Amino acid sequence: MGISLEKVSYVYEQGTAMQTSALQEVDLEIPDNQFIGLIGHTGSGKSTLVQLLNGLLRPTSGRVLYNGKDIHADGFDKKALRANVGLVFQYPEHQLFEVDVLSDVMYGPRNLGLDEAACKKRAKEALANVGIKEKYFKTSPFDLSGGQKRRAAIAGVLAMNPRILILDEPTAGLDPRGRDEILGLISEMKKNLSMTIILVSHSMDDVARYVERIVVMGHGRKIYDDTPKNVFRHYRELENLGLSAPQITYIMNTLRESGMDVETDALTVEEAAAEIMRKLK
Amino acid sequence: MIKISKLIHDYIQRDEEGNPSGTIRAIDDVSLDVSPGQFIAILGHNGSGKSTLAKHLNALLFPTEGAVWVNGMDSRDQSLLWDIRQTAGMVFQNPDNQIIGQVVEEDVGFGPENMGVPTEKIWQRVEESLKTVGMYEYRKKSPNRLSGGQKQRVSIAGVIAMHPKCIIMDEPTAMLDPSGRADVIKAARKLNLEENITIILITHYMEEAIQADRVFVMDNGKIAMQGSPREVFSQVERMQELHLDVPQVTLLGHLLRKKGLEIPEGILTREELSDVLKKLKKGNRQ
Amino acid sequence: MFKDITLGQYYQTDSLLHRLDPRVKIVGTLAYIISLFVVDSFVGYLVCALFLFTMIGLSNVPVGYIVRGMRAILILLLITMAFNLFLTPGEVLVTIGFLKITKQGLSFAVKMAIRLSLLVIGSSLMTLTTTPNQLTDAIESLLNPLKRLRVPVHEIAMMMSIALRFIPILMEETDKIMKAQIARGADFESKNLIKKIKSLVPLLVPLFISAFRRANDLAMAMEARCYRGGAGRTKMKPLVYQGRDHGAYFILLAYFAVCIAIRLVPLPFLV
Repeated sequence: MGISLEKVSYVYEQGTAMQTSALQEVDLEIPDNQFIGLIGHTGSGKSTLVQLLNGLLRPTSGRVLYNGKDIHADGFDKKALRANVGLVFQYPEHQLFEVDVLSDVMYGPRNLGLDEAACKKRAKEALANVGIKEKYFKTSPFDLSGGQKRRAAIAGVLAMNPRILILDEPTAGLDPRGRDEILGLISEMKKNLSMTIILVSHSMDDVARYVERIVVMGHGRKIYDDTPKNVFRHYRELENLGLSAPQITYIMNTLRESGMDVETDALTVEEAAAEIMRKLK
Repeated sequence: MIKISKLIHDYIQRDEEGNPSGTIRAIDDVSLDVSPGQFIAILGHNGSGKSTLAKHLNALLFPTEGAVWVNGMDSRDQSLLWDIRQTAGMVFQNPDNQIIGQVVEEDVGFGPENMGVPTEKIWQRVEESLKTVGMYEYRKKSPNRLSGGQKQRVSIAGVIAMHPKCIIMDEPTAMLDPSGRADVIKAARKLNLEENITIILITHYMEEAIQADRVFVMDNGKIAMQGSPREVFSQVERMQELHLDVPQVTLLGHLLRKKGLEIPEGILTREELSDVLKKLKKGNRQ
Repeated sequence: MFKDITLGQYYQTDSLLHRLDPRVKIVGTLAYIISLFVVDSFVGYLVCALFLFTMIGLSNVPVGYIVRGMRAILILLLITMAFNLFLTPGEVLVTIGFLKITKQGLSFAVKMAIRLSLLVIGSSLMTLTTTPNQLTDAIESLLNPLKRLRVPVHEIAMMMSIALRFIPILMEETDKIMKAQIARGADFESKNLIKKIKSLVPLLVPLFISAFRRANDLAMAMEARCYRGGAGRTKMKPLVYQGRDHGAYFILLAYFAVCIAIRLVPLPFLV
């Protein structure tokens, strides 16, 4: 179950002078109910990968399978796929358009052909899941604060009841408070709703403490696909990809290099503090 | 360079018919001084008033009460408007929405054109400015083909070409990826050190503020904290109250201190932390 | 998909056409457009096409790049053709149901298609080889006499230049919003016209909001860089005619004369 990519390549503007290869022979398994961080520098192919996952792009070669079925085969229901694989783009608040928050969130379910009552039910659930209170339901989405707008937009995708939810740079442009709120919200959603969440980011600090698996993209290829702790062991190689490990990894490595015998795989400041205390006793 | 005295700024709210229905106080009694050649960072979450403050320094907004002087020029004096804008240049957040030219060099020339600089001098300034930010080889390119960080450096060049004494950067890195952010900050530091241009950097990213000469933290339209980066970041709990980040190494030092280790507040680098811990370890053994 | 529209997008390279004074290119494009309506025979179109393709050759812009840009107006072209084909009265050639294709209609449709294609390629060649800033300067300079009549020439030129700069950005944005709404189950491919119009709302509302936000930002950025209208402004790239520009005007004149000659002088051995 889930999505699998088999040797997927993608070339932009094929056959022209501007031909650029965005993705090369990527194999990837995305099972149900996993929390995945997809990390890559701008131009690493991560945004292309994401659009391949829900059929917005068609691979130049290779296959994308959903529950074992080729999503580009004849007769495959793409609309159902897009409901199952929800994609929240960067700056999703830029897609809000309806007169009030509730109607905007109902847009997705309506497109699925559900009746009015069912749409409303789903929209209300989705809004509850992103922490938007009922008093805002009839407000214009454009009158919400920045962070609220983004949450309302996420609800718009959540209302499609996806099995897999992909969020492309959900914290882009937010201040520290907004960032912490959104990341907190996403990990809450992961706990409460049984679905796979893919968090796309170029910041290891954002994803390190939340996800159970990290996929690192670089130059159109999959470079690492492992647990956060294992991926961050390669912190020097990550730098060559224009990425960096979480700040805490650097701190622990500096301590170790200066002769302190600490484990370097702490993911949070709390873990690091505990490790240092253990070694100092 | 810049002097702000008891500045108050009220935004007028309007109802659906466009009639004034009330005011929002975005800046509430702010006073500060910036000396020439300083690198200043202003921190604060969205809605803290920091962007409004920035627009006062460039005479894009005018005081409701109080006053702003830029290089001795009072922003309330309309006749000085263009001199102020030329003295204090401004770089905005969204790289796409501040580039006017369709070719990099033409965009950099836009400011000098507006100032009435003679043609040959414009070319000189454009060349110098693009070289300063390391974008000279891109001078014939369309801005649409550049990355976010490159676009921001073009915007900075466009400001430098006006030969300002001070540049205000309003979250110039908020929409960039890590390498673009690093490039923009590097360019800003270079201007400060080599050209002696006063920089006022407004940001959410505390790692960009660490190297500043002085940090101001804004909250609710007021200056909540100010001081050297070490003085500000050593107040970990106060920063967290204001929903701002502190460097993780500072946070780690703070946590260890709370656990009973003798670690000073305000550790800013990994090396400092490792030195302190080494000393502690030695002390333990003895 | 919108990235394919090359109409109006400056193509960066170095060529004789790129270096020509933009005023020559504007006047030339106007003359060329008029010439398309002056000539009214296939020989005439051949001359126009020859002229155009010589210019494309001089421009160093790949022909494929220009032709791909044409895809954007293909539908418009087909509709115009169909109208001419079926709605021109005359000698009936073929009847399909209630539709009649006449000899005159056929000739009209073909001519119209050629004319329209040549027109679009010709005018896009101008924007492909001229930066919007140059265009603005040229329009400003050509319209300068109108300033005496209190026409805000500089402002008009500036507005055009900004519009051109933001076309590619807004197109990319349209593409993004479209994809985002498709991810929410939107159907932009519906055959039903009412549904199709309805489906545009989720696309157009965000697009307008974004355009207004950008306009606001840009206005502020321009003010911050001391923009205060045309008065007292100097030019980084002032327009000065060179030898080649005079040459170009001469060639243009000769071309135009040939087109008029083709129209006036009867050529009995051709259609």
